[in-house]
Amino acid sequence: MQVTCNDRDPIFEDGTLAEWAALEAHAATCPLCAEEVRAWKSLSVAAGELRDYSDSPSFWPRIERALAEEAARNPRRAERQGWFSFLPSLSPAWPAALAGALVLILILTLSAAWIYLRRPVDGRGTEDQSLLKSKALKEVESAETAYQRSIDKLAAEAKPQLESPATPLLADYHEKLLVLDSAIAELRAQAGMNPSNAQLRYQLLAMYEEKQHALEEVLETKR
Amino acid sequence: MGTMGLALPWKARISSMPRERGTRVEPSEHFAGGPRPALGEASSEDAALAAACRSGDLRAYDRLYTLHGARMKNLARNVLGNPSDAEDAVQETFLKVQRSIASFRGQSSFVTWTYRILINTCYDARRSRLRKKEVANDDSQETPRPEPRAPGAHPSLRMALERALAKLTQHQRDVFLLYEVEGFRHAEIAGMLEMTETASKNTLFQAKKNLRLMLEPPRDSAAETR
Repeated sequence: MQVTCNDRDPIFEDGTLAEWAALEAHAATCPLCAEEVRAWKSLSVAAGELRDYSDSPSFWPRIERALAEEAARNPRRAERQGWFSFLPSLSPAWPAALAGALVLILILTLSAAWIYLRRPVDGRGTEDQSLLKSKALKEVESAETAYQRSIDKLAAEAKPQLESPATPLLADYHEKLLVLDSAIAELRAQAGMNPSNAQLRYQLLAMYEEKQHALEEVLETKR
Repeated sequence: MGTMGLALPWKARISSMPRERGTRVEPSEHFAGGPRPALGEASSEDAALAAACRSGDLRAYDRLYTLHGARMKNLARNVLGNPSDAEDAVQETFLKVQRSIASFRGQSSFVTWTYRILINTCYDARRSRLRKKEVANDDSQETPRPEPRAPGAHPSLRMALERALAKLTQHQRDVFLLYEVEGFRHAEIAGMLEMTETASKNTLFQAKKNLRLMLEPPRDSAAETR
């Protein structure tokens, strides 16, 4: 195999053993390439100076203690994870977030049932303050739409970071936001069926606030 | 980029005689300083280790530490610049592995996954340190100031290399450390840094080109020393 000075960089980048042998043969008669090859190899040798595998005797006991404490602190973790083992395993935050969403849905269902059971039976009675009047409802919906639009802008800004998360923390945020979006969609569907229900609106507002905070924290990591 | 004024000329460190094996095509071929062989050779042990860690057996973590602890700490020290932060990062990595082992699905090797967590933990630590510095209105740069450690054969060379590495991009620095210092293969680095193998090779090439420019003494002054 014959190589020239022009082949030097491609061989440095991704050369095979045979190509390296050919380059060294060429370097034997080319002082410039000989110098370059020597300098290139010396970087690998210099890298050895950054290798320090000396052990610290107290280090493993420290890690072991932390692992044991963590295991003792979360004895139910494995059990909880087992419950959600049918789900795709994304991160440790995913089952917790899903459990939170399920609890939220349960609370909403119970609240709806409670409101239904407490409604005035004779059709007159006192006005239920948890129901919004049509004017107030329009205001709420208008404010909600504006708020949602603002959050969408935040979401668009955070999208590149979330779509290819550079850290486990960002991946967790991504999953949390997916769960929040799912809970928001659920609440919006319920609010659509029962637009005058103020409780649902409060729950929806809380979800939006949570989403806003999560997005702000994601954007904070960028700065 | 200016030169770093190395105390030792290149020729004092590297023999001009051609080596028997050309050069390092894959680091694991002649990786001798590390505590363990290449990752890929132990895939069955890797799977067994993952299973044991998943079962919550602390002895499995002990084994993981025995096999990789020193290298993990060395990598973290080179990324973070001091042994204390490095130990914290390695400990945090073990805790993260313990917390999220249930989510490990074997798409990469367990050890590659562990190193990916370590690298991300180091990034987080670096970012957190930078934020603290900003809050304290500290005008020092993001790049860590290396602390003293066990003296090598050429301390001045090590210091010059550390200063030069601090001037590389994060990816270039990390690929150089993983390949040249820790002896990982490009396929393994690709898994750890979530890049392609080709990108890993190219990043290493760029890193070494930049280091070469920074570390090489000017030809005229080099000539004077001869």
